[in-house]
Amino acid sequence: MKTAIKSAAEPAPIPGNQARASTNDALRPPFSREKAVLWVALAAIAGLTVLSARQIDVDLRALGGGFDDVANLLARMLPPELDDPPRVGELLVETLMMALLGTVLATFISIPLAFLAASNTTPHPAVHHAARMIITMCRAIPDLVFAVLFVRALGIGVLPGILALGLHSVGMMAKLFADAIEQIDEGPREAVRATGAGRLAELVSAVLPQVTPAWIGTFIYRVDINLRTSVVLGFVGAGGIGFALQDALRGLMYQSAMGIILIILLIIAAMEYLASGLRRTLLDPASDGAALPAMPGPSLRPPWTKGRTIRGLCAAATVTAVVVSVIYLNIDPLAPIKQFPDLVSVFGRLMPPSVEGVQNALLKAVGETLAIGLVATAAGAAAAIPVGILAARNVSPSVYTYHSARAVILAVRAIPELILAVIFVAAIGLGPMAGAMALGVGTIGFLGKLVADSVEEIPGGPLEAVRAAGGSWWDVLFAAVIPQTLPQLTGHWLYMLDVNIRTSTVLGIVGAGGIGFLLMESVRTLNFDIAGSIILIIFFIVFAIERLSAWIRRLFR
Amino acid sequence: MTQAAATAGSDAQPGPAIRVRELRKDFGPVTALQGIDLEVAPGELTVLLGLSGSGKSTLLRCLNGLNPITAGEATVLGQPVHGMTSREMRKLRSRIGFIFQHFNLVGRLTCLENVLIGASGRIPGPRYGILSYSRAQRREALTHLSRVGLGQHAFQRADSLSGGQQQRVAIARALMQKPELILADEPVASLDPENAANVMDLLFQICLENKITVLCTLHQVDLAMHWAHRIVGLRDGEKVLDSTTATLSREDVLNVYRQLQPEAAPDGTTA
Repeated sequence: MKTAIKSAAEPAPIPGNQARASTNDALRPPFSREKAVLWVALAAIAGLTVLSARQIDVDLRALGGGFDDVANLLARMLPPELDDPPRVGELLVETLMMALLGTVLATFISIPLAFLAASNTTPHPAVHHAARMIITMCRAIPDLVFAVLFVRALGIGVLPGILALGLHSVGMMAKLFADAIEQIDEGPREAVRATGAGRLAELVSAVLPQVTPAWIGTFIYRVDINLRTSVVLGFVGAGGIGFALQDALRGLMYQSAMGIILIILLIIAAMEYLASGLRRTLLDPASDGAALPAMPGPSLRPPWTKGRTIRGLCAAATVTAVVVSVIYLNIDPLAPIKQFPDLVSVFGRLMPPSVEGVQNALLKAVGETLAIGLVATAAGAAAAIPVGILAARNVSPSVYTYHSARAVILAVRAIPELILAVIFVAAIGLGPMAGAMALGVGTIGFLGKLVADSVEEIPGGPLEAVRAAGGSWWDVLFAAVIPQTLPQLTGHWLYMLDVNIRTSTVLGIVGAGGIGFLLMESVRTLNFDIAGSIILIIFFIVFAIERLSAWIRRLFR
Repeated sequence: MTQAAATAGSDAQPGPAIRVRELRKDFGPVTALQGIDLEVAPGELTVLLGLSGSGKSTLLRCLNGLNPITAGEATVLGQPVHGMTSREMRKLRSRIGFIFQHFNLVGRLTCLENVLIGASGRIPGPRYGILSYSRAQRREALTHLSRVGLGQHAFQRADSLSGGQQQRVAIARALMQKPELILADEPVASLDPENAANVMDLLFQICLENKITVLCTLHQVDLAMHWAHRIVGLRDGEKVLDSTTATLSREDVLNVYRQLQPEAAPDGTTA
């Protein structure tokens, strides 16, 4: 036995003189093209951020003063008041119903679109590309832009809001639906096909059961997102509690504005809580229980397990809520068809786009939009990344730090960006600075959560190895945490930039700078050709940013 | 024995490298280790054997403070590991190399950077990126990497190497600490038999040459009998074997792996 091991030991590689052979060059990492590209990209982003900060006249004193102004404003907002509670309550119900109906509408559009867009269920590659293109377009046009157009065509009310939420949500929902279809196990499909079933039967009995959990998850997530938007749709006349908030701010009734804002935060926080609870219970595979009670005999009815009961109740509640909402809001489902000529006249007049006489103003507004997004993402990330790391359970130095960091993130996340923008505009005046500050603060909540969640997912082994070598908390952070999470951090940062630039295109609606102001003006003054070109520009900005960030993410792995 | 305890505190060299008395470790209601006595002399190569779940890993992790001990005492390199400040703990850990079953390398970093992480206990301040370490430190790390036969892979990403190679990088990382003691927790359990033998031979050979004390958990009885000066067996959190290798037969060692001790089989309750 021992000799066998000896012989295995002999080829053990113990070359002693390789260190001598290595020259000094071996102590420097070799040059690589990817690294070079990365550094250039990083330098470019840094340079552009500085330029952007100049463009929107950020200076640090103004920033300090800005927060003073906000503090002053907040002082004037206290104590919060609530006048006319019945009206606020009514608007609140309207807001919730808009969010629900918008998401339901988007779901109805997304399901067929997703089957056409998924590469494994599409009838033809050309259809696949066309469907993906439609989805991208829906995503690239912000919901508030849709809302502005629908309000113009259909008049003030909740219907334009629902249509706007519905169309824009298709951009996310259909994409995630299609991605879920592409990830299914092909085996069951083959089995169904082998029985001689038709195409539709194949999709319904083999594909649908595999994707419903992911789809339900997406639906709940989107209701949550749409509620955040539906509270501000009122700013452009598309219904909901945003009406009341705007009235209060216009009338300089800051205390009642604060009352409304607090109610909004409360309802958003409640929805987030409800959504995460629903996701947990609805998507919990254990609730169907492997341990079924023994049945007295063969039965043709499936048993009412806990999971099935919950799913049944939720489905019934959703259907009831949708029916009640349609009746309560007095929506005529055929209205979009009856008012088709109005829609055509508004959307038709967007074409052909024109920039007659506003080229300079447009160019400036585009620059401002990009600048707001970039400055807000850079400055926000400087706060969001540390907060996010402290909010990661596995890295946070103490339980107390963990809970405080999570609380900061939760509190900021509950405030929609446009509401932040309204507050900053009221405090420091109209202009891009207010927009940049609003998005910067919002970034702490959004990016902070992404950072915290991805840090919590890194393997713990290397962290332990640094600790075992006698490393301190900082050594663990720099040697094991940051290197392991850097690709995700980069990805999240770019995604944040994407989101912030998209939001900064609509900040102008509340006077916080960027191209949105021109859009509102051109629609208000019936210059639809100019509105058309602005929408095209927004579309191309969002599209280009999405491509760019996908490209950088591929480089950085 | 009490006299030995008195002298151990004053200077590390004359006393044992590891001295454990009546050690007990609980995880909530579960007792992982109890009544463990163990002494390892400097330069000695000791192998811990036992079934999975017998408490081997827990014992190692108690010795460098990754798991705090519940009761009893453990003195490592002349320092009691319980009741230390975190600064003292880091100082002690920097003198102890720890080899993990799953290597615990940072996959995205180069091998050289992973080896340099071994120095984080003794160089001040956190470092980020190869160029933040001095040339002398980089040269030292490269020497260790060459010693485990991977000098030419210095700038390859750690996750691009095979399992055996990764464990060798982890050994180089431990050597970078200039350790007086190496604790190895099933270092080859996730490798194929051939790689396992190569890696163990490399580790034990280096430790013997550098007079590093080793406490290693293993499942390969033959490797253990070939290299170890002493073999210690654990079962259900208790020590059931502790003897120099020369006086042991293969049969004695394999007994550790029996579910029940042959002579204790009738009452069975102790197992």
